[in-house]
Amino acid sequence: MALSLRNPTLINRDQHKMSYYFTILSPTDTPLFNIAFGTSKGGGDGIARFRFPETAQYMNQFIIHSSLDILEEAQWTNGSMYLKHIDTYPPAAAYITAFLTPSGARFLLLHQPPHLPSSTGSSGLGASSLLGSAGSTTRASSSSIAANPTSPQTEEAVRQFMNEVYENYVKTAMNPFYKQGMEIKSPVFRTRVTAAGKKWL
Amino acid sequence: MTSPGDAAPVKPPPSFSPGVARVASTSPSRYPGEQEPPQSLDADLAEARSVTSPGPLSSTIADLPLRPGSTHSRSGRSSTPQLARSSVGSPLDGRFDGSEDIRSLIIRSFSPTIAVHASEDTDDLVRNKGFKGGFWELIRPFGETVPGKVVIRDSIGSSRAWEDYGVRFVDFKGIGRAPTGRDSGPLAQMEEVLSKHLDSSEGLLGASVRTRDVLGYPATTPLCKLFLQQLLCSGPAAPHETFGHPVANVIAISSRNPAPLETLRQLYADTTTGNKQPPEWVNQEYLRYYVLVHDEERDDITESTKLYDQMKRHFGLHCHLLRLRSSQCVVTDDDSMQVPQCEWLSPSEHLSGVGEAEALVDLGTDGTPYLFDSDATSIRAFIRELVVQSVIPFMENKVAVWNDQVASRRRGISGRFMSMSRRWAGFGSSSRTSIAGSSGGNSGNYDSVQHFYGPDSPEAVLRKMADFAFMLRDWKLSTSTYEMIRSDFGNDKAWKYHAGAHEMCAVSMLLNPLATSAKIKLDSVDQLFETACYSYLTRCSDAPHALRCLSLAVELLKSRGGSATESAAKWAMRVMDFGLVGSVGQILYTERVAACYACKTPHGAAKWGGRRRKAGMWSILAADQWLKAGKPTLASACLEEAERLYADVLQADGAFPMPEMQSFVDNLRHAVRVEYLEARGFDAKGPPAPEDPVGTEETSEKLDKRNHRRSLIGLPMQLDAGTLNMTPGPRDTENPPSDDFERA
Repeated sequence: MALSLRNPTLINRDQHKMSYYFTILSPTDTPLFNIAFGTSKGGGDGIARFRFPETAQYMNQFIIHSSLDILEEAQWTNGSMYLKHIDTYPPAAAYITAFLTPSGARFLLLHQPPHLPSSTGSSGLGASSLLGSAGSTTRASSSSIAANPTSPQTEEAVRQFMNEVYENYVKTAMNPFYKQGMEIKSPVFRTRVTAAGKKWL
Repeated sequence: MTSPGDAAPVKPPPSFSPGVARVASTSPSRYPGEQEPPQSLDADLAEARSVTSPGPLSSTIADLPLRPGSTHSRSGRSSTPQLARSSVGSPLDGRFDGSEDIRSLIIRSFSPTIAVHASEDTDDLVRNKGFKGGFWELIRPFGETVPGKVVIRDSIGSSRAWEDYGVRFVDFKGIGRAPTGRDSGPLAQMEEVLSKHLDSSEGLLGASVRTRDVLGYPATTPLCKLFLQQLLCSGPAAPHETFGHPVANVIAISSRNPAPLETLRQLYADTTTGNKQPPEWVNQEYLRYYVLVHDEERDDITESTKLYDQMKRHFGLHCHLLRLRSSQCVVTDDDSMQVPQCEWLSPSEHLSGVGEAEALVDLGTDGTPYLFDSDATSIRAFIRELVVQSVIPFMENKVAVWNDQVASRRRGISGRFMSMSRRWAGFGSSSRTSIAGSSGGNSGNYDSVQHFYGPDSPEAVLRKMADFAFMLRDWKLSTSTYEMIRSDFGNDKAWKYHAGAHEMCAVSMLLNPLATSAKIKLDSVDQLFETACYSYLTRCSDAPHALRCLSLAVELLKSRGGSATESAAKWAMRVMDFGLVGSVGQILYTERVAACYACKTPHGAAKWGGRRRKAGMWSILAADQWLKAGKPTLASACLEEAERLYADVLQADGAFPMPEMQSFVDNLRHAVRVEYLEARGFDAKGPPAPEDPVGTEETSEKLDKRNHRRSLIGLPMQLDAGTLNMTPGPRDTENPPSDDFERA
């Protein structure tokens, strides 16, 4: 029984895993901090699997960079710090959510659902795990926010994540050894961001 | 298309602006013998090149040293090679220079169709002159631009003059019949044409693939225009839209005919009965126009005049006496002129070699026929008279009549009631019709077996009226008419009609220069395109029309400027997503997305609202794809475009803030350069040895031995081209400043 349950969750893990790429940009667009991670909810293993091939990871940075166009526009029309979902890159189904800090640093989160049609098709062919997979599909989609990147639940979860990262960012920035505009190398900060990702996303 | 004026939300069609003198500007450039550079700004550059005969070759050498991959390349510099390379003799360049607009292209693509039905003796006469296709082929290129202004009155009675009006002549026998001989679909053919054109332009005209208008904004590439043109004239006449249906029929006989009136009667009968008549969904109420072709050399003009008077008595005003010389014209004749090339060649015609002549012209050998000046003048006069005095008034009249008799009845209260009651009756009788199993349509006018409306049914007439209004450029009327009928087609489940009406409704909304409330309407326009696309693609699986619809959406929304450019980009991405285009088309659309974003210019003091980064990203992606497709010339053009776009948003040193982006762009630059040099090296048939030094120079670029490097590169080329009298003057004077820039 345990074995038969495990199999579908393994398949599921790939199916419902959102991949995230989080960047903090200085006011002059220099990246201060980068991290890529995956969903930990719904059986996710927390490893990012983007749609681009391994050799094309620069695409994340391109997409983030290009969304600055929208961000610069949105920051004048939206009064709050959390700007929600601002931009989409349709060919890769990459969604960008943004958060502004008062000091002018920008938090940008790219989230990308995995390639759904192909993976559902391939798992559907496995007739033995059909029932189990269907059962855990519903479970996974109910618990994970990966199902719909623009849904209010996702917006809320990202907001929580952003707030937590912002708290940590303020603490890091208040460090006397940290100068404004420097790259954030603190391992503590990295682990805290990872933890926040695990907690909320 | 991306002139700064486009940023204004509403732009009148090009013909309103006084500067566009299409007739005047095309006539010199249409005849490549005169070699007139289309753009004045770089006239001296282009002239310098036209003196050095291997134009593209020398220009590619000239701009080679200007294409370093250094990160310090800025917009000011990277525009130099563009200027140097613009507007070499690509067959499309002369015709679409900076002043031309993509809007005008779209408008002109929906021009009235005139069928040509000539008697055997007329065709013989024209064949003697060297036109194998007969009378139709002779007058076809002249119809694409009607000389002078054409004044059209719209439905509310105000007149407007158009400079760029044209008509499309088609062979009468070919209406409604798919072109035979090729089994691949139009989309595959288009792809084939594109790749063929690419190959030839890589080989022949190397770097001339991208033009740039005067202010340095990215122009639509000729390739893109070619693609759009192909798309807009690819399909044969279809039942669901009447643009391909004849508005008029030119019936021609010649003075050689022994029994002229009898022949005319016979030709007329062909149009209504027999196996030559157009398909049954074509409305038979089109104008008949009778032409007597008089042979100036063999026949007596008095006889012809007498016959012509007789024709006028019989047929009324719609007659013309066309005087032509019957002997063939050759280049060496005194008043010979080259026959202008057809602008609107369908993909299959391109492939079957009608376009071949263009390539031959570039080589200096003439494959196109020549014509006496007097003949050309009389053909132009004939076409002007045909269009201005007969076709346009006929169409105006028809629109007025249909508007009065059919449309207003629908618009009135009783009409609404009728259509409503019909809908309810449809619901009520649905069980009955399903039992009967016959046509399940609600109105009964739609033949759901053969998928068309009878030409006399109100739906078909309204559609035709809307199309007429569209062709007469009365977009207000056409919008409201399409609006009126589009839901009817949905009720009848006539999906192709449904899609077509939605498509044209959105298109005419966007073309209407007076619809200023752009902001409100954009949503509805998007919705219309969405519906049209869904009907075409999902319900009818008609990919060519879906692609046409989406391409029109992209181009027209882009030309609207402002926030519409974003939905233009969205539609362009949708095209790629649907997989409607082949591999070359994918790259073209990547470029289009970049162009769409690029023309959303920042405004205000804060400089926000631009989409420079997005445009730059898409340009880089296009460059990457061109490189993968083995077209380094195009890739480098895209790369330069990207550099220009990124110039505003990057730091002063032009470096990307993100390391992975930077390394990717650097690698891409390097790869493009290496491939470019390799391609040039092989093309110029230089000894393969110099490639290695070239390659090593690439990597040691920072050493700043530029002069040496240039001499290295220049050497094999000059050996090769020295016999061709190449003068390196202009580029040597041009290079040093850029070298200095490089050092700085």
